[in-house]
Amino acid sequence: MIILTETTPHMAVWGKWLGDALGTNAAGASAGNALFGIFLSLLVYLIGQWLFKIGKGFFLFQPLFVGMVLGIFILYLMAKAFGTDTATFYKSAYLPGGNIIFWFLNPATIAFAIPLYRRNDVVKKFWLEIVLSLIVGLFVSLFVIYFAAKLIGLDKVGIASMLPQAATTAIAMPIATAIGGNSAVTAMACILNAVIIYALGDWLVKFFRINHDPVGAGLGLGTAGHTVGSAKAVQLGSIQGSMASIAVVVISIVVDIVVPSFAKLMGLM
Amino acid sequence: MAANDKVNKAETAKEEPASPILIQMGIFAAILFVSSLISPLFPASFPVPTPVIGLILLYVLLATHIVKLRNVEKFGDFMISLIAFLFVPSGIQLAASLDILKAQGVQIVIVVLIATIVLLVVVAYTTAGFIWIRKNVFHRDVNIDD
Repeated sequence: MIILTETTPHMAVWGKWLGDALGTNAAGASAGNALFGIFLSLLVYLIGQWLFKIGKGFFLFQPLFVGMVLGIFILYLMAKAFGTDTATFYKSAYLPGGNIIFWFLNPATIAFAIPLYRRNDVVKKFWLEIVLSLIVGLFVSLFVIYFAAKLIGLDKVGIASMLPQAATTAIAMPIATAIGGNSAVTAMACILNAVIIYALGDWLVKFFRINHDPVGAGLGLGTAGHTVGSAKAVQLGSIQGSMASIAVVVISIVVDIVVPSFAKLMGLM
Repeated sequence: MAANDKVNKAETAKEEPASPILIQMGIFAAILFVSSLISPLFPASFPVPTPVIGLILLYVLLATHIVKLRNVEKFGDFMISLIAFLFVPSGIQLAASLDILKAQGVQIVIVVLIATIVLLVVVAYTTAGFIWIRKNVFHRDVNIDD
């Protein structure tokens, strides 16, 4: 873009103005303007919703997926225009606003206590099956993930980064570091889990005929897709929603305990 | 037991008015604040983040009837309906890790895709298996009312 080339004083003023507004100028870098991040997040998500509507629900047009891809693409283009790299531009221009929206995941996560409590009858009845299924299910999944990662050719660090992804990001990242993985890759895996479940969840549930057992469907969605999977499960029904909510909590604690032992067993650490 | 289980339906049936939205937000804020005080007490080798503690706290408060569904339902359901949007910044966060993707990107994405499907399917069928055992080995009740 021409605005930053400072060929004329007029253009320089515009460049400084835009840089200040986005928080990308050296002076404004620490302050950062949160409004751009909030606006961009809403814009790309709403474009996603619109595409999803006119695309008649085509799975690649799921708003979260479109929002993510379009958002990264816009930041990439803007970084090019400002003559900096995407990561730096993301940190100075997008992150302040993105963090404000991100913060609301805190109350949104604890809100899942509500669908969980709505089907307290199911929790009381099946608590033993729930805990056992999550422990055994995770252990079996870890073997499959380990050998899949090995087969596809990830190195030791890559494999260790793939193991803790069933937990929420805040638990998965320190565990990845502890077992010799890269916590940034693990965080990426946790995010991709949610995006994949959000885009493919309905289709996967149908294809693998998972919904025959609503308790299992809920636990599976909560484990694979974290809170986003739970939101999908709430749409399937109250039992699924409740089970996915409990899965998010229990699987995180199970990962805390099981994954380091599994990594030792496989000689990763 | 049955009377206790139906507690939610009884609560809604009474049709007490929902708490004002600011009170609902206040309850959420209080739970988050207390959770943020508890979270650092866990050792670094056994991390339990604030929102996970908050979820457990709110569930305990609901189960012990200290907090009623009508006190938190409206705000909570609204937050849950927003969750996909709230995840957009996490998705865009990948812009900061594009260099990792350049190195082993395709392999990582494939493994994550496999892992997601494996976790979903294995956990779902393991659960179905345990419920089958409950029914056919221990001959215990597996019916759930809708």
